[in-house]
Amino acid sequence: MPYFGSEETVKELKRALSNPNVQADRLRYKNYITKVIRYMTQGLDVSALFMDMVKASAKVDIVQKKLVYLYMCTYASDKPDLALLAINTFRKDCADPNPMVRGLALRNMCNFRMPGMTEYIEQPIVAGLRDKASYVRRVAVLGCAKMHSLQPNTEIDGIIVNELYALLRDPDPVVVVNCLRALEEILKDEGGVVINKPIAHHLLNRMKDLDSWAQSEVLTFLLRYHPRSDDELFDVLSLLHAFLQSAHAHVAVATLRLFLHLASAHPAVQADALLCTSAPLLATCGAASRELRFTGLCHVQQVMRSQPGLFGTHYKCFFCGYSEPTYIKFRKMEILVELVNDENVALVLEELRSYCTDVSPELAQAAIAAIGRIARTYSEKCLDILTGLLALKQDHITSAVIQTFRDLVWFCPQSTAAVCQTVEACVDSPQDSEGKQTLLWLLGEHGEQISSAPYVMEGYIDGLKTELSSAVKMELLTTAVKTFLCRPAETQDMLGRLLHYCIEEESDVCVRDRALLYYRLLQRGVEETRKVVTGPKSDPSMSVLTGRQEEPISQWASTFNTLGLLSGRDLCLQTAVISAADQPSNSTGKELLPDVTLSSPNDTEEEISLSLGPPLSHETFEKMWLDLEILHRQTLGSPRPRTAPDTLQAALQLVKIQTLAFTPGDTVLWKAYIYTRSTGTLILAELLQGDPQAPGSDESLVVSVKQQPVNQHAIRGFASILKSVLQTLNVDSS
Amino acid sequence: MSASAVFVLDLKGKVLICRNYKGDVDMSEIDHFFTLLMQQEEEGLVCPVMSHGNVHFLWIKHSNLYLVATTNKNSNASLVYAFLYKLVEVFTEYFKELEEESIQDNFVVVYELLDELMDFGFPQTTDSKILQEYITQKGNKLEVAKTKVPTTVTNAVSWRSEGIKYKKNEVFIDVIESINVLVNANGSVMSSDIVGSIKLKTMLSGMPELRLGLNDRMLFALTGRKNQTILHCLSDELMKRISPTNVKPLIWIESVIEKFSHSRVEIMYMKTDLIQSLSFSLFQAKGQFKKQSVANNVEIRVPVPSDADSPKFKTSTGHAKYVPEKNLVVWSIKSFPGGKEFLMRAHFGLPSVENHELEGRPPITVKFEIPYFTVSGIQVRYMKIIEKSGYQALPWVRYITQSGDYQLRTNS
Repeated sequence: MPYFGSEETVKELKRALSNPNVQADRLRYKNYITKVIRYMTQGLDVSALFMDMVKASAKVDIVQKKLVYLYMCTYASDKPDLALLAINTFRKDCADPNPMVRGLALRNMCNFRMPGMTEYIEQPIVAGLRDKASYVRRVAVLGCAKMHSLQPNTEIDGIIVNELYALLRDPDPVVVVNCLRALEEILKDEGGVVINKPIAHHLLNRMKDLDSWAQSEVLTFLLRYHPRSDDELFDVLSLLHAFLQSAHAHVAVATLRLFLHLASAHPAVQADALLCTSAPLLATCGAASRELRFTGLCHVQQVMRSQPGLFGTHYKCFFCGYSEPTYIKFRKMEILVELVNDENVALVLEELRSYCTDVSPELAQAAIAAIGRIARTYSEKCLDILTGLLALKQDHITSAVIQTFRDLVWFCPQSTAAVCQTVEACVDSPQDSEGKQTLLWLLGEHGEQISSAPYVMEGYIDGLKTELSSAVKMELLTTAVKTFLCRPAETQDMLGRLLHYCIEEESDVCVRDRALLYYRLLQRGVEETRKVVTGPKSDPSMSVLTGRQEEPISQWASTFNTLGLLSGRDLCLQTAVISAADQPSNSTGKELLPDVTLSSPNDTEEEISLSLGPPLSHETFEKMWLDLEILHRQTLGSPRPRTAPDTLQAALQLVKIQTLAFTPGDTVLWKAYIYTRSTGTLILAELLQGDPQAPGSDESLVVSVKQQPVNQHAIRGFASILKSVLQTLNVDSS
Repeated sequence: MSASAVFVLDLKGKVLICRNYKGDVDMSEIDHFFTLLMQQEEEGLVCPVMSHGNVHFLWIKHSNLYLVATTNKNSNASLVYAFLYKLVEVFTEYFKELEEESIQDNFVVVYELLDELMDFGFPQTTDSKILQEYITQKGNKLEVAKTKVPTTVTNAVSWRSEGIKYKKNEVFIDVIESINVLVNANGSVMSSDIVGSIKLKTMLSGMPELRLGLNDRMLFALTGRKNQTILHCLSDELMKRISPTNVKPLIWIESVIEKFSHSRVEIMYMKTDLIQSLSFSLFQAKGQFKKQSVANNVEIRVPVPSDADSPKFKTSTGHAKYVPEKNLVVWSIKSFPGGKEFLMRAHFGLPSVENHELEGRPPITVKFEIPYFTVSGIQVRYMKIIEKSGYQALPWVRYITQSGDYQLRTNS
């Protein structure tokens, strides 16, 4: 690209192009045109040469034509009036005896993105649809879609749509697929191309002629088709069975998606399809290209949501290679954590242990967190490893280990003693603020079990002036107060110093306010303070919400094999929330049971019907639960049924209430989260027993209901149904 | 599918060449790509999908180029990646090497190819053999009479031209098994598997259907169906499967590193002494495959610290070479008979001042090739050609076992 004088360059080119001598010499002429395109590629504005280029398009040389067409497409939207001059050349080329030229001209003409093009391209497109060369037909079919996208709001041309539907029978496979693609674009507002029985069967029979791209897309279009009978369904599935093992990963995955969709009423078939595809999926996870490997891993993760055991024996495939990028390693570790079982735990932990010393701190910390996740089930082995890591005295490792300890103590209180011992033995403290906060939290919560707690804390208080993070200071305040409550003799002095410093000298308002709060609280007396400051030390029930459990396949099948799967949760979540909120209650025909209508004895004047609808994911539920207000709270008058969890779940399912999670066994604070849908609203509810804060909950369950959108009538109906179910269960079990 | 546009960028994020297929995503959105990428690289969280607003970038890196596809739909990601890799494949077949220079030198052909490969965001003709029939590199030569459309483009079978004739009808079948092995630093085999693939190069006339019979045991694993697999008659990678059976690592390497660090005699002495703290490595490689088989072109790549110097080697066979720019010692052995054991002794000088920067310890990698041998015991039993004219074809079968991802971790 010339550094200056681009105008000069353009002028020079213009002179050359209009020089009759140059025009006479084909080779020179073409070289100049190539030069123009080169400047265009480099970002120089050569649109001033439009007229000369239009002239050049009249030449016979096909490469030159391509270049000139490319030039015109690029600048057509800037110079619509001049572009119209070129149309004549294009139309002439559309009638050229050479099909390559015809196709080329038609394709480029359709690529002109400027208003008012439609009237010029319509006639050549219609002619192209009937061209005897399939190359031209391919172009013309997509041209229909392009024409529509130029004027998206105009009425759909019925003649063209019919013609496209007819072309689905074209002998050329690419024309067939292009027809589907074009119809999909044109009929976007009406729900896309219609796949009826003859079309579906025709496509199925053509499958083996298609190239892999087309196969993949046809399989996606076939998702729209619902076979009438089981016989037909199984015919379709057996036709497609071979594609489950296609050498192209995208075809195999697309087939799997279709299988899952079609066989939604046959779980055995779904399971079989998943089993068949597991080999190609695993092969993708070991593919040469990282991106495909990544997509493979994402899909494996998705499948594991309902079939956690499917890849259990292949856990070794998810060990990380040295040169793999971090995003792959992260995914692999996530998968490894889920695949852990009694047999492989030792090897998996050994492997994860070797990542903990990786040079990349992010990776090392993620590996430590992964070990922490496994520790919830296999605490002893993991604690040994974590303790061993502390001995390495690496800042980022120590910090991550301590953070893992915090989560571990919170989720499984039985490991508290071991953790406290380790923390006490750990000499060097973390240096980053996150790690400091965590260590302080541990000291505060379990100060009575860590004998060195006051001394560690003293170190922090002495170094307060150099501490930068206000979050650490606040945590320090809380810890000091908590430790003071259990070990007053050792900490009184340093708490005084801390409060003094924070109130008198601290410049951060938040820290000062916190200090003042504690100061005043302590003035009210120790017992008052204790009541305010101490909370629960652990919450094992939370691990039920965070831990995965088997989900129905239908929950993720809709996003399978799409981009949303890869780009993280965001895209999925959005669509999930929308579908949860917008979908009417009887959205899909998947429900096995007919809608149960229950009229409760107390509430006889109106009937309310509940339905399951599409399932909610844990994340969605959590998000909605946090966002919504409690609309209704009531005591149900009966205690928690003493039945097996399965029975309870099944009983609730019978009246169309879905159980999301509940605390296991006979924990004192028993919780369950359930949801259901009713006449366009989504009802979320929490059942609670034994909560000291809620009066009357020792004896009986308390239900708190949240709803979106609000419908009081539905809530009442829901409560009465729930009540009657629980009563029935209690009668049965007693 | 629907990729709205495809970009080829250089390492600095400058657009070398681009093609707007659909026009529903603003072309200037690409400016955000490189900033996003830099941002993610700084955070250490690079991801092959990036989003800016409602535009998603799917990208791959090839030598010194980024290939980026943009889309604003929830399109099929694996398909887009497969397409980008197809682009790389086609370009590589045209230019030998795909890199910044070759794109700039051949932009005319690149434009032509981009035009044929995709239309309106959908892949069209992607087979490089067919493309080569009508997009030739001899663009500069003036051919006025180039008016013939290749029959392939208008054929019912899109991936094969009609009327192909060979004097001798032959099929070359390559049965290739790649072995992936991961051995831990303490010698335990963490994972090992075989990835088998069958590659065909066919020289068959007409429109034949080819049937391949494999020995039963493997067959079931390969197709899941009863007896045969029908292939498209195209030279193509046929199938790729991971066999779940564990294999023994074929080449075993034991290494001992003795460190005599900080053997400073006197700091006052001489400068060379200061640098010289010694480190001996002793490598032992053992072949564990069948006695008759011979592994060819064995290459053992041993990583060494980046500050090592003055290498000295002694090998019982083959020769060792120090590659300082990659921090590797490459020990190559031309032919490695089964059941043999070889030794290498490497000697390096290391600075006595220890390098404080943390260095990752890459694994030892091994490359090899064992002809006439398959680990799984797969065999091609018969091949049948069904074609209208009813000719006989000669099958040539070749079995090769080669190293895939063969890694032995070293102690850190």
